[in-house]
Amino acid sequence: MAGAAHPEAMAPPKKGPTRTAPPRMPESWWGAQRIRTYLLFGATGIVYFVAGTVVLKLAWALGTGPEAWDRALGNLSHPLYLIFHALTLVSLIFVGLRAFGTMMPKMQPRNGPLPVLAAGTVKGLFLSVWVALTVLLGLVLAGKIFP
Amino acid sequence: MAESNKRMRVEILRFDPDKDEVPRSQEYEIPVQEDWKVLDAINYIKDEVDPTVSHRWSCRMAVCGSCGMMVNGEPKLTCKTSLSDYEGSIKIEPLANFPIVRDLVVDMDGFMDKFRKVKPWIVRAKERAEDMENLSEKGTYSQSPAELATFKQFSMCINCLLCYAACPVIANEPDFIGPAAIALGHRYNLDSRDEGDRGRNEIFRGEGTVFSCSFANECSEVCPKNVDPAAAVNQAKLAAVVDWAKGLILPREGA
Amino acid sequence: MVQVSRHDIVIVGGGGAGLRAAIAAAEANPDLSVALVSKVYPMRSHTVSAEGGAAAIARDDDSLELHGFDTVKGSDFLGDQDVIEYFVEHAPRELALLENWGCPWSRNDDGTVATRAFGGMSTKRTWYATDKVGFHMLHSLFQQSMRYDNIVRYDEYFVSKLLVEDGACQGVAALEIRTGEFHAILGRSVILATGGAGKIFPFTTNGTIKTGDGMALAYRAGVALKDMEFVQYHPTGLPGTGILITEAARGEGGFLRNNKDERFLVEYDYGVGDKAELGPRDMVSRAIIKEFEAGRGFENRYGSYCVVDLRHLGEEHINAKLPFVRELAKTYMGVDPVHEYIPIRPVVHYMMGGVDTDINAATDLPGLYAAGEVACGSLNGANRLGSNSLTECLVFGAVAARSALDFARGASDGDSARLVAQVEEEAARVNALRGNGKGNEHVSALRTEMNSTMEAGCGVYRHQDTMQVAADETRNIRQRVADLHLKDTSKVFNTELISALELQNMVELAEVLALGAVHRKESRGAHTCRDYPTRDDQNYLYHTLAHRTEDGPRLGRKEVNLGHWEPQERKY
Repeated sequence: MAGAAHPEAMAPPKKGPTRTAPPRMPESWWGAQRIRTYLLFGATGIVYFVAGTVVLKLAWALGTGPEAWDRALGNLSHPLYLIFHALTLVSLIFVGLRAFGTMMPKMQPRNGPLPVLAAGTVKGLFLSVWVALTVLLGLVLAGKIFP
Repeated sequence: MAESNKRMRVEILRFDPDKDEVPRSQEYEIPVQEDWKVLDAINYIKDEVDPTVSHRWSCRMAVCGSCGMMVNGEPKLTCKTSLSDYEGSIKIEPLANFPIVRDLVVDMDGFMDKFRKVKPWIVRAKERAEDMENLSEKGTYSQSPAELATFKQFSMCINCLLCYAACPVIANEPDFIGPAAIALGHRYNLDSRDEGDRGRNEIFRGEGTVFSCSFANECSEVCPKNVDPAAAVNQAKLAAVVDWAKGLILPREGA
Repeated sequence: MVQVSRHDIVIVGGGGAGLRAAIAAAEANPDLSVALVSKVYPMRSHTVSAEGGAAAIARDDDSLELHGFDTVKGSDFLGDQDVIEYFVEHAPRELALLENWGCPWSRNDDGTVATRAFGGMSTKRTWYATDKVGFHMLHSLFQQSMRYDNIVRYDEYFVSKLLVEDGACQGVAALEIRTGEFHAILGRSVILATGGAGKIFPFTTNGTIKTGDGMALAYRAGVALKDMEFVQYHPTGLPGTGILITEAARGEGGFLRNNKDERFLVEYDYGVGDKAELGPRDMVSRAIIKEFEAGRGFENRYGSYCVVDLRHLGEEHINAKLPFVRELAKTYMGVDPVHEYIPIRPVVHYMMGGVDTDINAATDLPGLYAAGEVACGSLNGANRLGSNSLTECLVFGAVAARSALDFARGASDGDSARLVAQVEEEAARVNALRGNGKGNEHVSALRTEMNSTMEAGCGVYRHQDTMQVAADETRNIRQRVADLHLKDTSKVFNTELISALELQNMVELAEVLALGAVHRKESRGAHTCRDYPTRDDQNYLYHTLAHRTEDGPRLGRKEVNLGHWEPQERKY
């Protein structure tokens, strides 16, 4: 058949229009266990935001002078700060476990040169690196190495 | 057939745009059988109680993907979900995150458009006729079982759209291209026969695609076929970044 | 208001055959407009449920001659041999094309496509993608079809009438399910690819959409239906639901057992010889019924059943080759085939008959073509071999597209005004049916009545008197279907109305089926008459044709196209 017989018919047919009801959110959305984990995961962002302002405050104190720096360091031993730091640590561990326990194993390229590891192996590798870094940092802080 | 005396209250979300301003809920009390799936209960209501209930279904063996609905707030393939998993009463609604056309039927044209955007077909640099040296004498490409296994899982998607109903990103950003579409695009990127990954990676770097995903992992939790779309989306993120970095360093062939 | 659109080719049905035809037509000329009209989104089509595989020669120990003869013998010599020769010759290329389009066929270690054994096939020639072949085929085709801008899809449009003017088919009247409005979708030629009609029966592997719409459309438009009495019972469906347990379960080495734990196909003589579990479907189904009659079946609340035993294959093999069977058995039967038997019984699976077509997929009506299960070419004769039908969709889908293109080239656009007038008339008929509160018959009740009539009269084994009862009753049901009582008055997504239209289609076919069965006084392939237990080539080696008249079907006959394979006794 030479040429387009019915070029006007190439466009897809127009649907509807019928009136639709807007999309709904599942009622149990907030209550579902899985969603709660995801929301907690998102909520840790607030903790990091606050932790970031603390670091900024410390940097500002450092720039202001030795007194301000000492005062800022002294403030850090306040129980509220300690609780906040504990919370930050828990958040970090939680996010680390989620990222390395759930997301990283899934993210491994399937067609790359590296073998695809089991989820448990990735998580185990992460945990060992983490423990090793903590020990190393502890040793440095205790002055055992790089005094 | 042995009759059981068990009865159940089934609440169905109803919406008829000819009559209803907004969706309403309607309750039915029906006799149920021990081995029924949720779909059997809906079909019983349609056949025996209220023929105006509208829903989609066909294969009733969890492969055509028609009968996805919210069951007690969770996205489920109703032909695969046992009624006996629920006690006393059950609430059935259309899939969340989709406009409701009528009763349990949602508008899925949006998905069909998103699906096409990822070019879900084998892309070859050459036309088949000029590609003969890559084909065996029987006309097929060679593909090892290992190469097949690379993408097989992501080719199992039945387009049931449960993942869209579960995705919190879609709920906030309706234009997000979504788990199933990305998984199927990524499936072709992983296929050893395909040469279209450059193009798809460019699409994946665009607005509202892989980087909109915040890894809720909900899609993989509800997937009835264990496709694990969350894995596909996050592999696609990495691949899209690597491809971008490669583009900075290496000259592009052809473009 | 009727909306009018014009295309070159209109394809009705978006399953394997419809999509293959659409791709073939779109590929042939990018300037052609191809309409693909389906009552469901294409990926919901029932091709999706096929499990075991698609046949085409692939190995060195195989040949066209062998595949051809297996098919002829499987058809109990009712298959048209020119069609069968064409089919086996073009099958390998079609499956290879599908491979090129991304179908994830299972592979051998050397990277070639793997094949498995199947019932009635003399060597391994069934290509497979684990045990979800239909699913992968359909999705590969559908995704491939998306790349063509000139395939215009009409998703969820129900075609209720073929438009015939000046002696040619020039389009369809389609109800847009979403809006309840009618469309005149006009084309220079029309291809039917709507699949079979398993839902005439109560216990079937078929999905609920398989209501024989295309067969009824053609039948009403004056085209003959052919060999409708031949209904394939698949030996292995789950009791209760009828969900298919693929023949590949036996192809991979599974056994059928009775309640005495015997492999009855080996222990007793059922004509399958040393093929045992790999016998053709009609014979294995009959064997299972015989086991029931001999009291060697298990019993549960759904009646008698036998079992498939896969335990000796081992978990690894089952997971690698039959993962879907395991999933289905677990989900729908509560048994794990790694450790337990899977209960099964014969179940309606496939219609060998359909719209009368020739080797070019053409019907008697100019401009109308048909491919796939809706058509009867006749490739399958009196009994289809497992895994031939998926390939049939591809081979004859492509043929139908080619023939339709050829026809469209010579045809001109019809007179729109007259065609639209027909659609308006059809719209009036359907609108009157919607929410019609005056009738006395209810859709689901009448459907149940038709279902049980067909099961009683046209089962695996048939009797003259029960078939006659079925013929009389289906005639009665066909007359009553005009008097339906519907409650749903809404125009939007009115599924009750669609069910009613589908029922009106099915009752026509049920009547043809029962009448054809009564008239064929012999046993051939899937049509097994207790009163006439042998094949009668003297009197019945012909295709049954049925033309529609107001008083019911008028039966006729058509010669079988015999080639170089002479009819002989069918023994394995």
